[in-house]
Amino acid sequence: MKYTILWKPILKLVLREFFIAILLLLSVSILIFSILKLAPGDPLHIFINIQTQNPEEIAAIKREFGLDRSIAVQYLSWLNNLIHGNFGNSFRTGRPVFGELIKVGVNTLILTIGSMIVTLLIAIPIAVISSLRRCPFLSWGLTLFAYILSSLPVFWLGYIAIYIFTKKFNLFPFLSAGAASGFRINWIYFLLPIIVLGIGNGSISEIIRHMRAQLERVLSEDYIKAAKAKGASIWRHSFKEGILIPVTTMIAAKIPFILGGAVVVEQVFNWPGMGRLAWQAALDRDYPVIMGITIFAAVVVHLGRLSQTIVFAFVNPQTSEKGEAA
Amino acid sequence: MRTRYIQRGAEVSEFSQIPIWRRANKKDLIQIGFGLFVVFFVLSSYITAVLHLLPYDPLKINLKEMMQSPDYRHILGTDFMGRDILSRIIVGSQAYFMPGLLSIIIALFFGIMAGLVSGYNGGMTDSIISYILDLIDSIPKMVIILLAIAFFRPGIYFIMLIVGITNIPTVASLIKSKVIFLKKRNFIEAGKALGLKTRDIIFKHILWYNCKAIVIIQATLGMAEVILIETSLSYLGFGVQEPEPSWGNMVAAGKDYFFMGDFFLSTAPAAAILISILGFYLLGDGLNNLLEWRRKR
Amino acid sequence: MEKKKVVINEVLKVEDLRTYFYSYAKEAFIRSVDSVSFSIRKGEVLGIVGESGCGKSITAQSVLGLITDGPGIISGNIFLTHNGKTINLLEGLPDYVSVKTKRKAILEIAKDVTGWLKRSEILMKGIRGKVISMIFQNPKSALNPFITVGEQIAESILLHSSISAKKEAIDAAAKWLERVQIDSPSMRLYDYPFGLSGGMCQRVMIAMALSSEPALLIADEPTTGLDVTIQTKIIELLKQLKEELNLTILLITHDMSVIMQLADRIAVMYGGRIVEYGLKREIMDSSSFIRHPYTIALLNSQPTVEEIKMKERLRAIKGDVPDTITLYRGCRFYERCDLKNDRVKKKCKEAEPEMIEIGVGHYMRCYLAEG
Repeated sequence: MKYTILWKPILKLVLREFFIAILLLLSVSILIFSILKLAPGDPLHIFINIQTQNPEEIAAIKREFGLDRSIAVQYLSWLNNLIHGNFGNSFRTGRPVFGELIKVGVNTLILTIGSMIVTLLIAIPIAVISSLRRCPFLSWGLTLFAYILSSLPVFWLGYIAIYIFTKKFNLFPFLSAGAASGFRINWIYFLLPIIVLGIGNGSISEIIRHMRAQLERVLSEDYIKAAKAKGASIWRHSFKEGILIPVTTMIAAKIPFILGGAVVVEQVFNWPGMGRLAWQAALDRDYPVIMGITIFAAVVVHLGRLSQTIVFAFVNPQTSEKGEAA
Repeated sequence: MRTRYIQRGAEVSEFSQIPIWRRANKKDLIQIGFGLFVVFFVLSSYITAVLHLLPYDPLKINLKEMMQSPDYRHILGTDFMGRDILSRIIVGSQAYFMPGLLSIIIALFFGIMAGLVSGYNGGMTDSIISYILDLIDSIPKMVIILLAIAFFRPGIYFIMLIVGITNIPTVASLIKSKVIFLKKRNFIEAGKALGLKTRDIIFKHILWYNCKAIVIIQATLGMAEVILIETSLSYLGFGVQEPEPSWGNMVAAGKDYFFMGDFFLSTAPAAAILISILGFYLLGDGLNNLLEWRRKR
Repeated sequence: MEKKKVVINEVLKVEDLRTYFYSYAKEAFIRSVDSVSFSIRKGEVLGIVGESGCGKSITAQSVLGLITDGPGIISGNIFLTHNGKTINLLEGLPDYVSVKTKRKAILEIAKDVTGWLKRSEILMKGIRGKVISMIFQNPKSALNPFITVGEQIAESILLHSSISAKKEAIDAAAKWLERVQIDSPSMRLYDYPFGLSGGMCQRVMIAMALSSEPALLIADEPTTGLDVTIQTKIIELLKQLKEELNLTILLITHDMSVIMQLADRIAVMYGGRIVEYGLKREIMDSSSFIRHPYTIALLNSQPTVEEIKMKERLRAIKGDVPDTITLYRGCRFYERCDLKNDRVKKKCKEAEPEMIEIGVGHYMRCYLAEG
């Protein structure tokens, strides 16, 4: 059988999106670099003050960090370093930022993807049930329930989870310091933050609203009625436009949101992730770390969008035909 | 489907004649009612706090009345320093109310402008505006805020300014898609053919008649998000600092007591957060169902 | 009315079909289809004709159980005969409730209807697409834009025929495409609907509907939304297929010319009711002088070639279709009727005329016919 995937337009589309993503990431780097330069006082001020008061040594440090050159040169060298994976050294620990980011970034990605799955597992069934309009009161009840879940303050939810699982069931040591090694041993410690963030990240309600609207629209399309008239499953026919596309859209749109929620949850659970690192960096004004995190997060966001584009291109033949995102 | 046998013209006139409360579903009315109650609560607590009409000074430490359970003198009890929790919750609404309004106004104003311009004009203008909005959207909100905190140690107003800016893309894309939808239905050409001024078409016919719902809904949802962000930041220790009360830092302050089994200190402000966010969500959802009624049924 | 007896060669017999929707805004029922009865014999084309908004499409969708929207009532009997067995598609529906109902009662009805819909879904499972197929107006939006044409036809074949291998089904789909006169069918199989023209899409729809060799084909405005030249071609195609396959068709249209070309029997609908019902030759025969005023008006609004040549004005029917919410005491066509005379005027206003037989199998709802 001849398959109808049109590789060429899809490739063209994905490449275009990829270049736009690169362009946006470059702009993000410029933005961050200018914030760095705009920041009140000398960005190295604190660092230098701690180390030394000697003007000669200050000049030496400045030279070491390349702060005596022009801004354009500074940016280019900074960007060059970025591309080579050199995000600078943390002011606090003195270690290279990049290595630390990779270490904690994996943890945060696990947390983010895991909670995204939990969120979708809650949201999709409710959206599907309420879009059917079969049992109005059940669907209203479920929607209300989902709204309550998504308005729960995530930190308080974390407290409750910790309280129940540590104090009542003694399932894992309370706020263990060696969490990084801890969660490999105890899977509940591993799952708990994922579930808490999945429930409390506040995006359930919006995912339901979006999915319900899309699914209702698709289910009232003529082609669904026609499919029903020919005795085919309406779910088979509405799956692509009614479920797959909205879910993909929502995943791509909610990645930044969940990354943000991770900052709080990691704080609550002492989860050794990027959010906690960002929190620490913000407290310590650890510029290289926070900039590294920003760029890392932007890359993750754009990866999400790129995968959305790819899914769209494959799902919607019209998209790939026209060579543009619908 | 039901529209098929009601004539087009009849349909339009029919809907404009029916008063809004009669087309409403009972569920929507309950949702809106609850939402309005929350809005009223937030508004009145803000006014109470501004006018200093509180029964107790939220900052006054009274070690004699530490950790009291709720009774008739302290309706929600007192915290570990003997401060009245109710007063602190009421004053806590001050932490986000005005800054939140600022952020919503910024998001709506610039979002509407960007959406209208890029949707109406299209072409190069659209590309440039979309690019800028994509740029804002590239970085998670929380990370931008933490970045700003690290660099500038800003106050809550500055943070909410950033929140407002990061909300612009959402509003803009909604307005833009609406404008494009209207454009596809030859709405704008029809207006031009009738000799309407461009200004009238954009502001009266597009914005007022067709985007009202979006704007109202985004405003309510924006408030919910503002509460979420402010409480998160206060919880993390970046927003309002102790001893000034904010719902977020009250939850954080009650943490140690929470794990000792004294839930109330954290739970009372957490409940305030839950109820207010829920209220704004339900208000938004109810209004959405009510105002977009014609499209739905 | 006819007795409750099913004639053997009747494929479909609809008795007293009522489809009401509840309007929350008006707090009343919209009586889209109000006590409609007709029957179709094997190999016959029944055309239901009327202005838009008179309940033709709703009738068709009620037959196929496609109405699931909101609270409302579907009641009556729909007898479907297939392979010697007769089933009632509206079995076990609660009796219809008075039109002036309060909100609370509506919820009760809605509950009943939900339960009934579930039963209907089970009953309809083996019928939709297999025994009764349907083609829609606006063929472009009735085809799934995300699935190739070939796959959509193949799906229908896989569902309703003995073919169970996908490859065979695709081959069969190609054969059907050829049958509905699409050029290079093996190429078109892999096209998506958006790549095809409206006429092509309708051909695909017809192929899809006929691929299961149904006992009854419902054609809901098959030519609406198509260019005039393509309309003619689609009608030609339907005519040809009807001859070839001995199809039984329920044709729904507002276009008198389509009816003239295809139908054997005609039901004229107005305001949710059938006002005239009979064989085409009976109704259209110029020698028959008794026709319903509405039918006459419909026929007159269709210009003939001579009239166009003489540059006469089009004779539109004055006024609008009445809304189906208001309860009329009298005839629904009264306001727009040109033929009402002093003799019947009073009766027309007072009470709605009954369906009376004026010829062999020719029924009409008008006092003028009473003589």
